[in-house]
Amino acid sequence: MPVTEPVLCHRIPTPPWGDPADRHLVTYDEYVKSGGYQALKMALDMKPAEIVDAVKESQLRGRGGAGFPCGLKWTFLPEPDGGRRYLAVNCDEAEPGTFKDRLLCDFDPHLVLEGIAITCHACRLDTAYFFIRGEYHHQAETVQRAIDEAYEAGIFGNKKGILGKGDLSIECYLHRGAGAYICGEETGLLEAVEGKRGWPRVKPPFPAVSGLFGRPTIVNNVETLAAVTPIVLNGAEWFTKMGCDSSIGGPPSYGPKLMGVSGHVNKPGVYEVDLGIPLRKLVDDFAGGMRGGKAYKGAIAGGVSMGILGPDQFDAEMDFDIGRKYDVMGLGTACPTIFDEDTDMVAVARNIARFFKNESCGQCTPCREGAQWIYKLLCRIESGEATSKDLDLLLEIAGSMGIMPGTTICGLADGNNWAVRTIVNKYRSEFESRVKPYFVPVTMGAG
Amino acid sequence: MAWIVKPSATTTIPRRDKPYLTDKMKKHYRAEIIPRYERPQGALMPILHDVQHDHGHIPYQAMVEIAQLLEIHPADVLDTVSFYEEYTTEPVGKYVVGVCQSIACEVCGHQTILDHLRRKLEIEPHETTKDGRFTLLAMECLGACEGAPCALVNGDRHDNLTIESLDALLDALPD
Repeated sequence: MPVTEPVLCHRIPTPPWGDPADRHLVTYDEYVKSGGYQALKMALDMKPAEIVDAVKESQLRGRGGAGFPCGLKWTFLPEPDGGRRYLAVNCDEAEPGTFKDRLLCDFDPHLVLEGIAITCHACRLDTAYFFIRGEYHHQAETVQRAIDEAYEAGIFGNKKGILGKGDLSIECYLHRGAGAYICGEETGLLEAVEGKRGWPRVKPPFPAVSGLFGRPTIVNNVETLAAVTPIVLNGAEWFTKMGCDSSIGGPPSYGPKLMGVSGHVNKPGVYEVDLGIPLRKLVDDFAGGMRGGKAYKGAIAGGVSMGILGPDQFDAEMDFDIGRKYDVMGLGTACPTIFDEDTDMVAVARNIARFFKNESCGQCTPCREGAQWIYKLLCRIESGEATSKDLDLLLEIAGSMGIMPGTTICGLADGNNWAVRTIVNKYRSEFESRVKPYFVPVTMGAG
Repeated sequence: MAWIVKPSATTTIPRRDKPYLTDKMKKHYRAEIIPRYERPQGALMPILHDVQHDHGHIPYQAMVEIAQLLEIHPADVLDTVSFYEEYTTEPVGKYVVGVCQSIACEVCGHQTILDHLRRKLEIEPHETTKDGRFTLLAMECLGACEGAPCALVNGDRHDNLTIESLDALLDALPD
């Protein structure tokens, strides 16, 4: 069964169900009137373990990029020992091409706050930090206003329990970032909340065991938390009817997904669709087709670090199998940037390399130095000064940085690695036509 | 990311008599912000945001005052300030114009916007005009790819920019 009615966009008019021009900020009153906080009331009547089980059964996978099963992550928490336990809400959303969480913050922040309250109840967490990226000035204001409303309504900061029920009093604080992509990495985010530079931590220990201030911490993406609310309301079985099963025997990709389409399409924007929708359908049926009727050339799979879908992969299904089937790193944030036939892929690679050069936090040498080299090499290729040897050097450097080759702490360098390698491999001829041949000097033996 | 290179041993920091953190601010931080975090350093970023907003940069004297308030080393404050791009140690202009240069904006024509601003303001990215009115930044993804090319002007985002809309926008800014 496909997504027949909007789930996360229930109150946000989104095509084909509504006109984006009608979008407005849903206040607490309007949210409650349209059935809001019913799921929280139901959750408070359930045992925490029942909610965790329901989320596990729904097979909800993290919407932040890695696609880690949400319910499983929650079970990594140790038993409460009386000390503080934290929820860190990841709204850093700095991956180029990604703008889906912004939609929720802009128009329906209470959906996320309800998910936060349910998660805190289910996992026995007493403090939530809503980490929002520094560039989201307006969104920080709307979320803060929503948090204030929730405090007034007795959801947060209620000594008698959430909405006067139970024994758990939760606090929710907004914490603004200050312009660092790396804070979207879960342990980088924790460092930023602690007031330090956002250098990712060595794992293990994982945040569920030792996170914020050394205490158990769950880090979840905004959209993941927003999805928890309808799962509690409608049950896990309902959730598994949307999305798709894996076609290669892997874990399934259930549920609706917000996908933000950008680039050379007629109607760029965020659409709520089934996981598993072919990219072509997403572009043609939702995003209004290719701009100017031009031909498709390629697409960023879901945030630049996932790599690129090649010219023959327009029919790729947007689900969590995408990485294994189409030679990209993964689904990522499921926000594709589409390129038309006139796009210079060398310039695309150079742009992405510049992003990673600027955003490398500088902690691990392979990433800090490698990102600079890759950018310089791509600039040289773009200007026509490079030789074919530089192309091999580029791939060698890219392939040697990241968690997968085992040379860095976090996955930022893997993103750089995959983006550059997939673009060069899938558009090799374009790169080769820009480089000069490299002649190996051969001397004749004098005998 | 920024790494600060300076001759630490010989540098004297500019000081003024009036503290950057007023008693009222300190009272507010002690009552409202610091208790939110298990360790006082957690309050560092919210406080730095306030100082950056009020003064257009984070003076070294303010860093020392913040360190005293939070009972941490001034070096810890500098460590955090130097890492995040939104915090600057030099004053920025009255209006900070940040043009997005990431992938969706680049393929939708950010270069035209950036080149126009360079000519109009007669500065390069990451410079401030002589009159202190504008700072031009080339920023990474602003999370508004559906409105590419886009730019932030003092925190307000403007989408689907053209040279005309940008001119109208900048000319309408109050003095």
